This record gives sequence, C-alpha cells and structure tokens, in this order.
Amino acid sequence: MERQINAAYRINCIAVSGQPQYGKKEPCYPKTNLDCGIRIPPNMRSTIGIPFREVKMSEPTTLQNDVSLKDSVPEGGASLESILCTEELLRRPSRPPDYEKENRALVRLVSALADSPSTIFHTLAETIEDITQCDSAGLSLLTRDGKTPHVDGQRFYWPAICGMWGPHVGGGTPRNFGPCGDVLDHNRTLLFTHFERRYPYLMPVSPAAEECLLVPFYVDGKAVGTIWGIMHSNRRKFDAEDDRVMASLGKFASSAYQAWMHIEELKIEVADREKAEAEVRQLASGLEARIRRLVEANVVGIVMWNLEGAITGANEAFLHMVQYDQDDIASGRVRWKDLTPAEWRNRDEQAIAEIKGSSIFRPFEKEYLRKDGTRVPVLLGGALFESGGNDGVAFVLDLTEQRRAQKDLQQAQQSLYTTQVELARVSRLTTMGELAASIAHEVNQPLTAVTNNASACLRLLTDRNLEPEVLRRALEEIVADGTRASAVIARIRRFIKKAPAETIELDVNEVIDSVLALAGHELHKNEVLVECQLAKTLPLVRADRIQLQQVLLNLVMNSIEAMTGATNQTRVLSVESRINESGDVLVEVRDSGTGLGSEADRLFTPFFTTKANGMGMGLPISRSLIESHGGRLWATTDLLHGAVFSFTLPAAGESPS
Amino acid sequence: MTTASLVFVVDDDPSVRSSLKFLLSTVGLQAEAFESADSFLCRKPADIPSCLVLDVRLPGLSGLDFQRELATRNVCIPIVFITGHGDIPTSVRAMKAGAVEFLTKPFRDQELLDAVRLALDRDRARRKHDKELADLRQRFDSLTAREQEVVTMVVAGMLNKQIAAELGTAESTVKVQRSRAMEKMQAASLAELIKMIEKVKPSSKAAS
Repeated sequence: MERQINAAYRINCIAVSGQPQYGKKEPCYPKTNLDCGIRIPPNMRSTIGIPFREVKMSEPTTLQNDVSLKDSVPEGGASLESILCTEELLRRPSRPPDYEKENRALVRLVSALADSPSTIFHTLAETIEDITQCDSAGLSLLTRDGKTPHVDGQRFYWPAICGMWGPHVGGGTPRNFGPCGDVLDHNRTLLFTHFERRYPYLMPVSPAAEECLLVPFYVDGKAVGTIWGIMHSNRRKFDAEDDRVMASLGKFASSAYQAWMHIEELKIEVADREKAEAEVRQLASGLEARIRRLVEANVVGIVMWNLEGAITGANEAFLHMVQYDQDDIASGRVRWKDLTPAEWRNRDEQAIAEIKGSSIFRPFEKEYLRKDGTRVPVLLGGALFESGGNDGVAFVLDLTEQRRAQKDLQQAQQSLYTTQVELARVSRLTTMGELAASIAHEVNQPLTAVTNNASACLRLLTDRNLEPEVLRRALEEIVADGTRASAVIARIRRFIKKAPAETIELDVNEVIDSVLALAGHELHKNEVLVECQLAKTLPLVRADRIQLQQVLLNLVMNSIEAMTGATNQTRVLSVESRINESGDVLVEVRDSGTGLGSEADRLFTPFFTTKANGMGMGLPISRSLIESHGGRLWATTDLLHGAVFSFTLPAAGESPS
Repeated sequence: MTTASLVFVVDDDPSVRSSLKFLLSTVGLQAEAFESADSFLCRKPADIPSCLVLDVRLPGLSGLDFQRELATRNVCIPIVFITGHGDIPTSVRAMKAGAVEFLTKPFRDQELLDAVRLALDRDRARRKHDKELADLRQRFDSLTAREQEVVTMVVAGMLNKQIAAELGTAESTVKVQRSRAMEKMQAASLAELIKMIEKVKPSSKAAS
C-alpha cells in the first residue's frame, strides 16, 4: 500500500510539473485526460515556475529553506487582524444575485467535470474570475512535497490561476506563510486586504493584491485547499454576493478535487495496467515462441479442440498417430468424437465433465481410431484455454511401445509361472522318484538275501543234501534280513512323518489363493474355469505352509489332469473352504471329470496310479502330510461333478492329535 | 560243476554277499566276495575260468564305472549285473559295454545261476582261444627268421620258384625251409598253415 502511494506521488509529480501554463487566451493544455502530464515537451516544462523562481530570488527565504521557517512567522509581519476585513462583506452594499449566470457557470463546470476533469481546476478559476469579476482567481491545494496533493501537506500549490496572476500558476507557498494557511486554521471564508503586509513571502508577487477573498474547501470534513479571487485595485470590492457564490464554488471545488484525485489515481492505474499488459505481451510473445517450439518439435501429440467435438488444430505428431493429415484437419472432417471408439465415449464424457468444473482434465489412458480403423492406445491430458470457454488444448502420448513392453513383460511373467509350475512338478516327481529308488534299494537288499538263502535251501532240500546246521544258519539269516527289511520300512515312515515341522498359524484361504496363482497357467492352458467359495471368516490353522501348498497343488493338478482326459465338457475346478460341524477347517477340491468309479478305494494305495506317467505316490503322500497335521484327507464321487477331494485341518488353538 | 571255476561277487551288502555265496555253493560253484570294486582289484587275477557278479550301486566306484575301468585295464572278465532299482538306460549301457546279464533284485535263483553259467562258459571259451593263440605264437616264434619269411610268402600264395628268385636262393633250399617250417608249426596241410599264420599275424595278408 505504502509503495503504491509513493508510486502515485511520483506519477503525479510528473503530471503536475508538466502542466502547462494556463493562460486565459492560450488553452494549450492537452485535451484528453490520460495524456495530460505525460508527454510535456521539455521547453514547456522549463517555463513552469519561472515567475515563482523570480519571487524566490528576491526573497530571503527559499523554497528549499522553507522547512526551517515553517514554524514561525517571519519578522516584521503584520498581525492577521490588521489585514482582515471579512466583516465588511456584510456591511458593503451587495449586488443582486445573478442566478442565471450562476446557473450557466455551474452547468459549464459540471459538464467540464464530466468532459475534461483534468482541466477542471482551470475551468473553476475561470468561473471564479467570471462570476466575481475579480482580477485574478485561482486554487491553492495542500501538498506534501509541493506537487502531490495531500490533506496533511505542508505546502500550498497553485494548480490553476486566471487573470493577472496567471503567470504564477504552478507556484505556491509554505503552509504557514500565506493567507491560505490562516483560512484553513480559521476554517472559514476570510477577506484579506494587502496580505503581503503579513506575508513578506508574497511581497514581490506582482501586481499586489488589494483584496483577496479566500474560501476553504473540504474532503471528508478535512480542509484540502482554498479557492480565491483577488482584486488588484479599488475598482471593485468583494461583497456578500461574492461570499455566497464563492461558498457555492467552494463546494464544487471539493467535488472537482475528488474527481481530479480520482483521475490521477486512474492515470496511475492505467499506467500500471499498460505496463502490466506490456509485460504480459512480452511474456506472451516469449511463451508463444516456446509453445510453438513444443508443438512443432512433435515430441508429443498436441491437439486443439472444442467441446462440440471438433479438432481445430493438431501437430504432426498427433496426425502421425491417427494417420490423418493437415488437410483432413483443415476440412473439419476429423472430429475427436469420431476418433474415439464407442466404448471410450463414457470416459470422454467424464473428462468433459471434469474440464467444465476445473478447466482441466487429468491425464487418462484411452484409444483412438486411426484412419484405417486400427486402434492406437494413448495417454491424454488437457485444458480449456479459458475457464468456462469452449476451446481447449490437449497433449496426446502414443502408448503403443509401452503397451508392447507391458505385453512382453506379461508374457515373460506368464512363462515364468509356467516354469515355476513345471519346476514344482518336476521336483515333485524327482523327489518321489528318488524316494522310490531309495526305498527300493534299501528294501531290496535284505529281500534279495532272503530270496537267495531260501532258494539255496530249497535246492539243497531237493538234492536231499540239506544239513540241519546249514539250514539253521540260513534260516537265521533269513529272519535277520526280514527284520532288517521291516526296519527299513519303519525308518522311511518315520522320515516321512518327521520330515518338515515348521508349523505356523496360517490362513488356509491365503494358501488356496497362492496355489491357484501358481497353477494359474496350467488352469488357463487347459481352459479350466475356477470357482472359489471361500468362507470369509475362517479360523487359522497350524500347519507347514510348503506342505499344505504341496497337498493343494497336488489335488489341483490331479483335478486338471482328470478333466483334460474328457474333451467335450466344461472344465470346472471348484475350491471351497468352510468350517465343518466339528469346528475344523474343511477344504474341498472338486472337478468336473468323470469321477473315481471303482478305483476310489485304491487311490491312497502307494504306487497305484491311473496316469500314464504317474508315480502313484501323490495321494498317499498328501494323505500322510494332512494326517501329520492332525487332519484327514479323503475322496468321494459327486453325482453332478467328478471327483471331490476333501481334507480337514484342526483350527489353531485346538491340540492336533 | 565240472572243471574248476571261480565266481567273484562284489556287493556292499554283507547279507547279499553271503547269501549269494550260499546259493552258488548249492550248484558247486566256488565264490569269493568283495565289499567294493577296489578290494576286488587288489586281488591277483584268477587263472581259471571266472566271472563277476556286480552290484550297480556301490560305494566309491559305481558298477558301471567299474566295468569301464576293467575294460581300460584289459581285464576280460564276464560281468553279471545285479541292481536294487533297475532302470532301462542303465541296463542298456551295461549290456552295450559287454555285460552278460542285468538282473533286478530280488531275482529268481535260476536266473542268476543261468547267467553265471553263461558267463563262465564265455570265459572258458575265451581262455581256450587265448591259449591256442599263445601256442601258435610260440611255434611261430620258434621258426628261424628265414623260415618265417618263407612261410609268410607261401601264405601270400607265391610259388617256391618265385620265393627263391625273391630271396636269391635256390628253389631246393626254399623247399627244405618250407617243409621244416610246416613241421615246426605242426601244420598237416598248406590250408592249415594259412589259418594258423592268419591267427598269429592278422596283418600278414595286408603285407602281401
């Protein structure tokens, strides 16, 4: 605020100092308000204040020194009373009021105020001179620094003078060294006679003032200046009618002052605005160049459009994306609404709704139809040129490459899944194969010895050559080897049962999800539809995650294999989890295969298999794993579906058997 | 069993070893058992018909590696493989490398005895063949250098006259040397001599 005021003073300073001399016959001031004071030729400026400078030179005090003088009346000054004759106004014979002239003058003033407020002070001075028939007439305004009007100013400035003192326009006096200061102090109209007797400051100003009628005027109750008329001779004296008219003109002066101040403020505002506009223009031309660079660089597609669906402009990058050319755009044939495939229209509507609210729409991905009907995936973001307007601009990024990369990534992930599933399968088989080999070897050794010994005995018996001692030793070995074989079996069973025991509390549903994800590719490849019915609130179970995953994966893979045997039916794998009547967690894996038939009983027999390359160990091992967790695993045939494999696991907290 | 023979058993399982020895003894076969390939290699080779009953899975050198090792050492002993967990690729490899039989434990007694008998027969035949060859070589070595030259030329189909011209001697001299060589080689006819020389010097034909 303070800064703005200072700026206002600065501008005013120029304006006022540039004001031309107001001569009666030479109205050489500019006609338009805005031009006033800005473009004054230097030579004109040099003429301003010359009379006043003459005054200064003959004066012991100077304008520059007035600060030191402002608080005291110079020596030799006459008393105020001695130069006042205000009361005489009432005693003098008064001329009759000339209302017609007065009205004309007021109309002239009002129209001048409306038409050319910047010269209103001059018009006012002329009016005073005209109506009061005085020799000189003018205004004094309180200013802060001699130029800028201000209520609390310490100098009077004469913005307009007509008549004989006309040459003194632009001059002034310190606040306390002229009649104006006394008028403001007394706060009423005063009539002076030869005021130079009290104010030596004015002594050199010629011609001398015989009488001077001074009327204060106010803005918001504070005196801001005076209007005055001067008689330089005794040819006429001011009377009561002059007092009345001047009071009336004083009120007008107040309005004129405010209007003028307003104009000055406007000038400042206009100047500021012009400056700002110039800056904006300059900025805009720089910005425009940069924006044009962005558009023409064709690093992104840029398209200009309106809400009706038209495309009003586009750069080459955009045209390349949609395979149209500039002629298509120019013809108006290409509309963004038509470029948008039907299923993306709703998304466009959302963006339009968004842009109507906030003037922009956030980037989103969609597709455009190319000229040849193929589609191009894009990222689109844009804005209206003006809030509430109809036209806007958007950037368009071609996402084809990105999509391709995404697809590659997906394929890579898919093949990774495939590999994982294969790996799980192979390791399952390998582990079981090695286990089987180990079992075979361990068991076959004693078995071989038993067979050999028994066979040898039989041979000797046939030859009637079997000595009791030989037989006894052979039988002992047979018993020892038989015992050893069963010990091997027992050890393997113990090993299987003991193997991993990293049990934690876990959510069966979460394990089901992970297994279905792991088998996702197999399911997809074999066109198996998965239906999950998982209980939302399931108690946790205490189990080994890997083992549980193995069991579930085994059941799921079995189901897939069972269903791929049958070609002409819908393949549905349904996995269900719930709490059974015993409070255990029950999981059912159901397939739409041909069911189990008469083989149901033998499923859990080791090495029984219905598959060409099956080991026959999956289900026995799965059952043993579930049982080691205190649960049960069994198979049934569903009437509607194929086989159902179910297992239970005790809820955590209950002690597993 | 008739002539003296010996069966070597290599198996890491003592029960299997002793039961095999017992089984073989019922048909009069003498057996020696070893717990590893290395311990068998430490024994000096038998000079009577013998065979090897070898477990595929052994500590240290495996049965198949051992078979290869014996071949590189030029030890020609027929092998009967026995295994606790037979698979087709292993058995194919073993048979291609010259195994007599590949039996999966537990095997029927007759299968093993038949395989062992076959193996011993093969070894006996090989030994007989080797012995004949050694005899012939000994006889051939007893010929003088000139007699060996003459015999080689005779086998190549040259007439006495041609041989004499070749060697720069009289035909009568060649006749004497030829009949002496026939005598030393114990050959009754020219045809027999030719067979003998082919066995001793397989490359003699190429020399002609």
